[in-house]
Amino acid sequence: MLAALAAIPVLIAVVVRLSAHVPPGRGPVFLDRITQNGMFVAATAMVVAIPLFLPLTVGVVAGDTVAGEAGMGTLRYLLVAPAGRIRLLVVKYLGAVVFCVAATLVIVLAGSAIGALLFPVGPVTLLSGDTVGAGQAEWRLVLVAAYVTVSLAGFAAVGLFISTLTDAPVGAMAATVVLAIASQVLDSLPQLAWLHPWLFSHYWFDFADLLRQPVTWDSFGANAVLQAGYLAVFGALAYGRFASKDVLS
Amino acid sequence: MPAVIGLGVWAGPLQATVAAKAPDRTPEQVLALVAQSRVDALSGTIEQTSDLGLPQLPKTGLGATAGAASWVDMLTAPHTARVYLDGPTRMRVQVLDQLAERDLVRSGPDLWTYNSSDNTVTHVTMPARGFKKTLPSALPARVESPDQLARQFLSAVGPTTRVSEGPQSRMAGRAAYHLILSPRTTDTLIGSVDIAVDAATGLPLGVTVLARGQEKPALQVQFTQLSLAAPAADVFRFVPPAGAHVQQLTLPQRPVAHPDAKLPNARLPDAKLPGVRLPGHMIQGETHRVPVTVAGTGWDAVIEAAAGTVSQQMLDNPAVAAMMHPVTGGRALSTSVFTVFVATDGRLFAGAVPLERLQAAAAAR
Repeated sequence: MLAALAAIPVLIAVVVRLSAHVPPGRGPVFLDRITQNGMFVAATAMVVAIPLFLPLTVGVVAGDTVAGEAGMGTLRYLLVAPAGRIRLLVVKYLGAVVFCVAATLVIVLAGSAIGALLFPVGPVTLLSGDTVGAGQAEWRLVLVAAYVTVSLAGFAAVGLFISTLTDAPVGAMAATVVLAIASQVLDSLPQLAWLHPWLFSHYWFDFADLLRQPVTWDSFGANAVLQAGYLAVFGALAYGRFASKDVLS
Repeated sequence: MPAVIGLGVWAGPLQATVAAKAPDRTPEQVLALVAQSRVDALSGTIEQTSDLGLPQLPKTGLGATAGAASWVDMLTAPHTARVYLDGPTRMRVQVLDQLAERDLVRSGPDLWTYNSSDNTVTHVTMPARGFKKTLPSALPARVESPDQLARQFLSAVGPTTRVSEGPQSRMAGRAAYHLILSPRTTDTLIGSVDIAVDAATGLPLGVTVLARGQEKPALQVQFTQLSLAAPAADVFRFVPPAGAHVQQLTLPQRPVAHPDAKLPNARLPDAKLPGVRLPGHMIQGETHRVPVTVAGTGWDAVIEAAAGTVSQQMLDNPAVAAMMHPVTGGRALSTSVFTVFVATDGRLFAGAVPLERLQAAAAAR
């Protein structure tokens, strides 16, 4: 799955390299900047990956955590060891978070590498029109990866909870991914504005605040608080479900 | 243990509020405070929300709002902007959009605008005199600062307005007085205007416009963060980024004669309706000969623009057309605080009044 994520920036870079000039204002944001500066490959790939590819892969990993073991019949053997159910749940969740870190870093690093290979690399224009050096820009991209990782942490907790509900890993994965899509659809309807601050996908695209000059940390903080809330609620639900569950497989 | 922590969190802001309560002042004293206020340097965040009863277009994550629809978007969607100010000649406004930003940077005679979604820069060299009025309108789509908006309302205070004072509150972490302007006439759609004034400096911190008979604010512009320290100097330094399309604009040398034609933002719906003025590019032709007449004064004034003033192209724009609805004698745009009526012969009427008043005005001539 990490290879599939790495393929996104590679695909974008190769297509842009082979095609004619991209007019500004068309396609995903930052796409038109790639020919001038390879650093934008990673940013474009992030914009493309956030709505679908990242939730898809994280949903698969998080949905598989408990249900996957149950589906293969290995869950009861894990619980025979004197480790306790909480510890199993925590370790499973941490595994999903490690995947989130790896997934976002893979996009940034693969994007930076292929961008440097195919396009010139130099000072980067931020959203504010200010220009920063390539080193500072790479640092900001790593911050973006951190932001997106935090964004996915609450979502991974939702996936963990769903995973404790069923013994069929495919069902848990599908339900988790569907929730991510549903949350984004609800977030795009202005009539539901009162609901938006409570949706886990609400701040996903605000990673752009890290590409402004000066950097706005407000959305980073708001996002972290929201995701921590999701982690607390769905972590508790997952524990409540898993601790009292009859493990038969 | 969590209960104790919870109490501590609650008690903190409460104590701060009590401690920082500003001395009581009469509405007249608060008005004088605003008039005397001299804030030269600030950096802050402004949030604008509106609930004008207009349909809001759904936004997708990847698509950017197309140019022509952007001022419609300004009227319907919430916006956040960062403002930096240092002295009379240095300012920067950043309108923070999703995955994009619109910037206005002024440093001495140089005025730059930058739009990240199409990577374009405009540069204007300001004349030494007379720039102040043209400044804000240079932003492609503007977020009105609470300060400017409040001063427009306050400058319109006259015999038609009753000024009272609401309870003090805290805004952007500062103690604030509330001036409440209510129209004496019942012919206007505006119920009241609440202006929050910083108790320490007299700087207007927020403006809330309530429509008659509505509980939720029709328009709200306020600082959510404010620091009165001078911003870092490099905030005002702007160099067009490499690869950007730079457009050089020139302003007319001589200031225009007619006081009503502060170009390029001709004052269509007038100063009694701040924040809902139509941007300058809607006006066709010579800006200093805009045939705009105002009937009446105060809250229920009606503005009339002759046929051809507003370009047909603008009115036919799908985003605009979607908000207009056919009525007797033409088409109308009705919101909770103002109405625009385009008669079939092309004349345009606008005002903070019900549609019937505009139709009557159109029929009378």
